[in-house]
Amino acid sequence: MSRTQVNSICPFCGVGCGIALVASDNNIIAVQPLSKHPISQGKLCAKGWNTPFGISLHGRLTQPLMKVDGRFKVVSWHHALSHIAKSLKQFIKESGPQSVGLISSARATNEDNYAAQKFARAVLKTNNIDHCARICHSPTVAGLKKTLGSGAMTNSIDDVGKADVILVIGADPTENHAIIGGQIMKAKLRGAKLIVVDPRQTRLAKVADLHLQLKIGTNIALLNGLLNIIFDHGWQNDNFITRRCEGYDALKAHVADYTVEKVSEITGIKGADLVKTAKLYSQANAAFLAYGMGITQFVGGTNNVIAVSNLALVCGQIGREGTGINPLRGQNNVQGACDMGCLPNVYPDYQSANDIQVTSKFSHAWQTEVARLPGLTSLGMSHQARHGNFRGLLIFGEDPVVTDPDRNKVAQSMRAMDLLVVIELSMTETAKMADIVLPAASFAEKQGTFTNCERRVQLIHKAVTPPGDAKIDWQILSELANKMGVPELMNWQTSEQVFDEMCQLTDSFSGMSYPRLKQNNGLQWPCNREFPDGSRCLHSTTFPIGRGKLIPVDYVLTDEIPNANYPYWFTTMRLHFHYGCGSMTRKSPLLERETPIGLLFIHPQDALDLGLKNHQGVSVSSRRGCVETRIEISNQVSPGLLSMPYHFKEAPSNFLTNDAMDPITEMPELKVCAVNIIALPENQPPRSSVLNDVGSCND
Amino acid sequence: MLQLTPQTIRIIDVYDDGTHARHFTFEPKSFVHDEAISIGQFFMLTLPGAGLAPFTYTSIPDKAGRFNALIRNVGHLTKQLFSLGKGDILGYNGPFGRGWPVELVNHKEVLIVAGGCGLAPVASAIDYLINNGSSNSVTLLYASFDIPSQVLKKERVRWSSSINLFETLEVGGESDHCGLPTQYLSQLCNEDDGYPDIVLTCGPEPMMMAVAKSCVGLGLKTSDIWMSIERRMRCGVGLCGHCYVANSYACKQGPTYRYDEFMALENKTVAFEKYQGLYQYC
Amino acid sequence: MIEVNNMLNNKFLINDLDVLKYHLTKCYSVVQIQKDVNGQELWTEQLGDKRPPLFGHDHLPLTSPKGFLFAEKEVLYKFDGETFETILPQVQPKVLFGVQACDLSAIAYQDKFFEHDPYYQKRREHILLVGIDCESPCASGFCVEVDAGPHVKDNTADLVLSRLSVDDTNDSSNWLMIAQTEKGVNSIKDMMLDKADNMHLKERRKMLEKVRSEFVDYSYIRNAIEYLNSNSVPAQLWEELSVRCLGCSGCTNLCPTCSCYSTYEVVDKKTVTPSSISNEVKLEVTQSETIRCWDSCLFEGFQKEASGHNPSQKAGQRVERFWFHKFSDEYLPEFHRYGCVGCGRCEQTCPGSIGVHSVMKRIDQQCCS
Repeated sequence: MSRTQVNSICPFCGVGCGIALVASDNNIIAVQPLSKHPISQGKLCAKGWNTPFGISLHGRLTQPLMKVDGRFKVVSWHHALSHIAKSLKQFIKESGPQSVGLISSARATNEDNYAAQKFARAVLKTNNIDHCARICHSPTVAGLKKTLGSGAMTNSIDDVGKADVILVIGADPTENHAIIGGQIMKAKLRGAKLIVVDPRQTRLAKVADLHLQLKIGTNIALLNGLLNIIFDHGWQNDNFITRRCEGYDALKAHVADYTVEKVSEITGIKGADLVKTAKLYSQANAAFLAYGMGITQFVGGTNNVIAVSNLALVCGQIGREGTGINPLRGQNNVQGACDMGCLPNVYPDYQSANDIQVTSKFSHAWQTEVARLPGLTSLGMSHQARHGNFRGLLIFGEDPVVTDPDRNKVAQSMRAMDLLVVIELSMTETAKMADIVLPAASFAEKQGTFTNCERRVQLIHKAVTPPGDAKIDWQILSELANKMGVPELMNWQTSEQVFDEMCQLTDSFSGMSYPRLKQNNGLQWPCNREFPDGSRCLHSTTFPIGRGKLIPVDYVLTDEIPNANYPYWFTTMRLHFHYGCGSMTRKSPLLERETPIGLLFIHPQDALDLGLKNHQGVSVSSRRGCVETRIEISNQVSPGLLSMPYHFKEAPSNFLTNDAMDPITEMPELKVCAVNIIALPENQPPRSSVLNDVGSCND
Repeated sequence: MLQLTPQTIRIIDVYDDGTHARHFTFEPKSFVHDEAISIGQFFMLTLPGAGLAPFTYTSIPDKAGRFNALIRNVGHLTKQLFSLGKGDILGYNGPFGRGWPVELVNHKEVLIVAGGCGLAPVASAIDYLINNGSSNSVTLLYASFDIPSQVLKKERVRWSSSINLFETLEVGGESDHCGLPTQYLSQLCNEDDGYPDIVLTCGPEPMMMAVAKSCVGLGLKTSDIWMSIERRMRCGVGLCGHCYVANSYACKQGPTYRYDEFMALENKTVAFEKYQGLYQYC
Repeated sequence: MIEVNNMLNNKFLINDLDVLKYHLTKCYSVVQIQKDVNGQELWTEQLGDKRPPLFGHDHLPLTSPKGFLFAEKEVLYKFDGETFETILPQVQPKVLFGVQACDLSAIAYQDKFFEHDPYYQKRREHILLVGIDCESPCASGFCVEVDAGPHVKDNTADLVLSRLSVDDTNDSSNWLMIAQTEKGVNSIKDMMLDKADNMHLKERRKMLEKVRSEFVDYSYIRNAIEYLNSNSVPAQLWEELSVRCLGCSGCTNLCPTCSCYSTYEVVDKKTVTPSSISNEVKLEVTQSETIRCWDSCLFEGFQKEASGHNPSQKAGQRVERFWFHKFSDEYLPEFHRYGCVGCGRCEQTCPGSIGVHSVMKRIDQQCCS
């Protein structure tokens, strides 16, 4: 058997490591790291190394399926797409374009995503297009847009190596973004100071110089407190503030309230550590700030991001090498999905959907009227479905039943819709609930581009053919447009054509093309006339809005706090070995073997107080639902705080989580809620929450 | 060349024998063992769709190739196995590994300390010692958590007339038979009643280590104590690497190790944690 | 024409390797290191094209040719509902053209380890190894310290190529070629070749000395090996290093001597019926495969048993044991060399900065004081 190799980009997290796919007999049999790749430099994490299992042919959907009399039946593409087209047309006619929508995939390519929002806006005439950034970094996009004018990572990954202070808030880039985590650890070995802010003692916290183990949900108190200390000591970067910011006075006055004593009490962090952190960060030559879900997934998510931005701006730690505000975008192409405009309020390159000039431009370019009314977010679509106003949804490569908050509500929404179409690689929990399931091609089976967290657009190449009749996302949409009677709108033959069309309609991508991407190991946007070779570091002379805005924000309590009935704090987390809903990583026997016996992480003292033995079965409940699993006694969490990874469909932590929303972005407060735990009888194993083949619970 | 591919065997008898434990009798479907099997060796079962794992012969294959195993339901593969009944077929590879040093027990006093399901790997040794009658005496100290979790009921009844059988229970035993086996070793190893010449121990690893340590404390030599080490295995022939004990493989140089040899191996790496104190039974 | 008899260890001169390659393509498909547009080097099966071999110091690809012999994934046996059937790999003869000394030493090591493995041996017997002497040290290699290079060690290749001189005028080189095995001899019979003599062997030896002298001082590696073998490394150090082990499995995947594997099942046809004997459902498989895949002892679950007992629960134990396997004298009786061939790949691929150079430096630093 001969082996062939094709270079590509890892399909898991937002680091975007180079990876070579080794194929034999139309099967991916192995992967190899790429030593010359600018980011990964010959490294891969456990997920990357296990890519072949994730996309293996076994368990893959190969034919369209339609639910008939409660069972899935194989149907032809023609039949499936005709049915979908007919239904969508009917819903639009009866209930208007606001009754239909798309959830695109943050794992699919830029081309797939561009096609999705075009289909929504040009074919369905709706702005109801969204994706999982809603529940991940939507506050980043909104918050930084407000303060800087651009919501993306301001610097590049290799700036980690140029920083002398690294501050990581609410993320553990050794579990996800492990290659960045490795670079952080390397920087520390070379003398950089590492500060980690996290309510759990994560691996990165263990190697840090300073771990601020704050009480959950108290980010703004901490950040405002740091600002106050900085102002008190005159540690702010006056030069930078004068030249590049506005709103200084208001901010300074506002944070005066956040005294060391007050902040110490709210956050549980010692005053001395607060001062130390403030000094290190503000006085560093170059301080690199990275953050994750521990900043965004709160009702105050957008404000948390603004508070982070305030800190960076006040200290002038932005616009230079080794600095920056660096949100760690989680998925391989969530940056791309946002960039491509798969958000209800923006078109590609964040051109506003409310701006008549923008809509006219696209209308003209696409040669058709586009959507007029404001669109719904994914949570909005879910909400409207439960009220009978939202009837048809196409979900590409997402598993909201496992990953979205308040599982019971999500399931209810899915059932309420008249038509749920899921386009997937394998039969996920969400797919089980669908009316129609369409087989998708994986990243190894198509050409296209991914944009990683540092705005680098990189090419992926086809290594093997899709199994059975699986198709590429944009191809499916192209054919669906055909069935809807508008074949000319999405008439592409290659992914390059999709990409070129998109580049012409945007500024940030206008200088890109496939040949240029290939030559340069990808290009970081903006890549246009001003920055023909892309941009390593944003905002070096000015911000898109001119001056950076310092905006006072206030610490607020989380939506839910423990009480007598639900006496424990509960948070969610990731494990290194699994990814998202686990649909890919759990196909690897090696990664699955790493799954801990207990999924509910609990402090030894709490276990002792409750009389629980390690790995004992428990029932965990919140105001919304309950889940059964085993406990894992761990010093990672603090007394009173419980934590669960969200990757496991047999014990979905999202039965418990709160969908109370950030008013600005509708980001649900996934990071915190209140729960209670009860021991299960000794010989009773925890019940699995996995749905049966057709999406109902096994009783 | 090694044969990694299993032969087929059939279940010909199965009955419950202890908490979550079951007694199986297997028979080869279409092959014969072409080599002699030693007491204390083990075999690998393959369950299509579930995987493969090692198990010990509770009784080694007879002339018809039939053998028994006492198996506990602990994981993915055994869960599958427990759904099978008479007539169902499985994959089998064996025999593997180094067995008990039965050639050393002529005219010796033998003490066997077994914990929970650890009785299974020594069962064949006990039968051998009784049948061969070459040892002076055999004492079995059998420790379990409680009465329901005791295994090999039929065998123990059979043995009780030929050996000294001393059973302890962690829960539910009478005061002179309650607790952990290490508490009773001094009763069986002392100046008046005599010291055993050789000790075979099998059970959870912390238990075996505690027993060995106690025996040494009571005056036995480290080279007089033998243990059967359990490790994750995926081949049985020293290739997959999972069963390593320093630079040896439990499937080849073990699973029976002499205590001093085992400690020497473990001491080749410093980060090894030595077990002390409490342990849980199977 | 050369006579077949007395050809072992006969030495020849050749000045155009393409001639050799072309000759070999008659019986073998050529696999060699190839550079792509981004400068990435990978062992690639040549399908038609002729490309010059890469050699020398900066062409050690990040991946070794291990996968051509010990496959990343392969079916071991199938089950059809009644019996199990061995599935040996389907192979075609291949020549691995231009393998460096370290990787050849590793192949020799794996030849010993997998001596009785039918899958490895089936692939192995169809492989011809053409080795190449390195002309200067590579970026992170220290083969000199572990007797694995820089020149191809005896009896690790079928044919050995050593460049004696470069003729700048016509951009060609003068190569010494030694046929070390019968397979090597057979592969070049029918070729018109000039004989080399002892003078050329002398030249090769001189070259070896020159290359060896160019290696930087790796005394920390020598020292650390001694400390490891005298059990002088404190447990504390392993704890400290292991915090940075992410369990990515990069080191074991890239290490050319690593051989651990796991097996898993792929079920193609099955029926599920209620069991007659328990509350569980009975899985009746009528078509399945048992597949083996590369595994890594650095995974926490590598030694985890179904009961939950895990003899290498702590990362410090696992990290220590990996280095024990690479540098312990305990393995010398069986393999006559250390598990480490000094290729330095683990250092390049470890995200946690605990590859061989980092670890050995740290050990030397700790134990020196």
